[in-house]
Amino acid sequence: MTTRTRYFVIVSVLVLGVGLGTGLVAYYVGFPAGALGRQGGPEELAYVPRDAAAIAFANVHEIMTSELRQKLHRALPMQENGQQELQNQTGINLETDVDRVVACLYPDRDGTNTPGAGMVLARGRFDEVKIEALMRDHGAHVENYNGKRLIVADPKDLVDAGAGDIAAHGHSASLSLSFIEPGLAAIGSTKLIRSAVDLHRAGNNPRTGLESVTGNDALMNLVREMDSGNVWAVGRFDALTAHTRLPEAISSRLPAITWFSASGHINGGIRGVVRAEARDDEAATNLRDVVRGFLALAKMSAGSRPELQLMMQSLELGGTGRTVALSFSVPAEVFDVIGAVTNKGFKPAH
Amino acid sequence: MTQPARPAEGAPGLLSSAGRVFDLSLGQMLWSRRSVFLGVLLGGPVLLASALRIAATLYASGLKINGVQAGGSAIFGMMIWLLYLRFIVPVLGVFYGTSLIADEVDDKTITYLFTRPIPRSAVLLGKYFAYLVCTVLLVLPSVMLVFFLVVPTGQGAIAGAFPSLVADLGMLAIGLAAYGAVFALVGTTLRRPLVLGLVFAFGWEPAVLLFPGYLKRLTVAYYLQALVRHEMPQDSAVSMLMQVFREVPTVSTSLLCLAVIVGLTLWLAGRAVEEREYVLEQ
Repeated sequence: MTTRTRYFVIVSVLVLGVGLGTGLVAYYVGFPAGALGRQGGPEELAYVPRDAAAIAFANVHEIMTSELRQKLHRALPMQENGQQELQNQTGINLETDVDRVVACLYPDRDGTNTPGAGMVLARGRFDEVKIEALMRDHGAHVENYNGKRLIVADPKDLVDAGAGDIAAHGHSASLSLSFIEPGLAAIGSTKLIRSAVDLHRAGNNPRTGLESVTGNDALMNLVREMDSGNVWAVGRFDALTAHTRLPEAISSRLPAITWFSASGHINGGIRGVVRAEARDDEAATNLRDVVRGFLALAKMSAGSRPELQLMMQSLELGGTGRTVALSFSVPAEVFDVIGAVTNKGFKPAH
Repeated sequence: MTQPARPAEGAPGLLSSAGRVFDLSLGQMLWSRRSVFLGVLLGGPVLLASALRIAATLYASGLKINGVQAGGSAIFGMMIWLLYLRFIVPVLGVFYGTSLIADEVDDKTITYLFTRPIPRSAVLLGKYFAYLVCTVLLVLPSVMLVFFLVVPTGQGAIAGAFPSLVADLGMLAIGLAAYGAVFALVGTTLRRPLVLGLVFAFGWEPAVLLFPGYLKRLTVAYYLQALVRHEMPQDSAVSMLMQVFREVPTVSTSLLCLAVIVGLTLWLAGRAVEEREYVLEQ
């Protein structure tokens, strides 16, 4: 065998070996999320476990700095005590410190018929020490999990620390907060936060059954269509309604929707689209009829209110097959009118 | 004219002789003009995968096929079916397999090999192994590159798709072995092996797979396709027809049949080389 033949064989075997080795590591240990290839949708989805029933996203920074928000701020000078209080207690200034938020919902994840688990991943600039101290003051304790600090607030801890009202209001499962990476805070049910830490550490690992939602094709197909919006939500309608305790009279009348998505872009005004995927063509036609009826009613009602007429004109019903879509656009002028009307109402009497 | 001759007493055995021929042939095969063709053939999917990766990186909406979002694993599966299984593997089998002995005859160098004190079938066996190593070492790294370029796009996961990659690599290696052996037999027994090989690979095999019945069992593709873990793409009417009449033998049956095909065709090719009288044109 000549030298160049030997080199060729070595290079080929090396490519094969490195490839198989990498694949084996990915399969058995997992692969750090986002290590190879860009994920569609926000990158935080790589830390959201696969079986999410709904995902929501908001580009907080874009919304906070949008013309619409500034306009509303000027037109409707609201009390901002809550925002100020949050800043005092946690050091988080919603206007400047939070860039974007991803939230996910898991109805009855443990099969215990509880209302459901959720998690919020917030990307921004956080004072980790201050937030941890605040949570500890409220009875939370710190755990180490796979090299990450988990600030865990068990319902029992909350009661002991005098925050019993939080525990009493349905928070029967423990809540945790962890700074998964610098500038990324995850808060939600402890199990979900642990899964997020695992996904951050090792990425998808089908062998252990740990996979992120990025592998959930049905949900991700919807997420990928949301690229133009700075606020959106997608989810399985049937999974959510199945676990909400709605009265029989309402739940029996709910349309047969499997998936829903809502996307909006907030800047000068708001434009958006709400989509629903019905179980079959017939259900979609029924849903379209219902929406069409509501639209007609709303347009009739808006006839006497010029501030709503513009918005009503933008409503458009669409979709084919099993999909029903309702798009809308609320121009900035509508908010000017609303602002003017509201200010008029607030004017102090002389 | 070369006539069958018995190896001399104390001559090396079949396997050691085949080893020597393999050593000699591997370099010849790798650095021949045919390798340029091979490089183009295998560079194509890698370039295509690179283009797909760039497109997926540039466009956040990802890759769409017929308006439907396509995941990286699905695209990789489609490339395995359409590029490697249906085209590259049979083509390599035809071009390399039929030329194992035919090239030596055309170059009039067969005499030098047949006058050595080794069994004639060792020449064929050594060349066959050289073909197998040469093609496997080119095809499998190409598939590996395509896998790592394509699968992470469109939310595909390396970890999730890895078991199917291993199956694909095994299937392609077996395919190269089977097609190589079949066309080695064609090359040793027929005068115009290339034409017949092409007709078999791109005429007989796809045609027979379209119809119900037993004829498809006389193809390599029938058994090879049973080892593929990806969904068969329905890219055309022919593919859809194939899907309709597709009978899938079990993996163990396929492996057994492919092993029989390789063994039987190599044995027959070896016998043909041992017994055939090669007439060199002057």
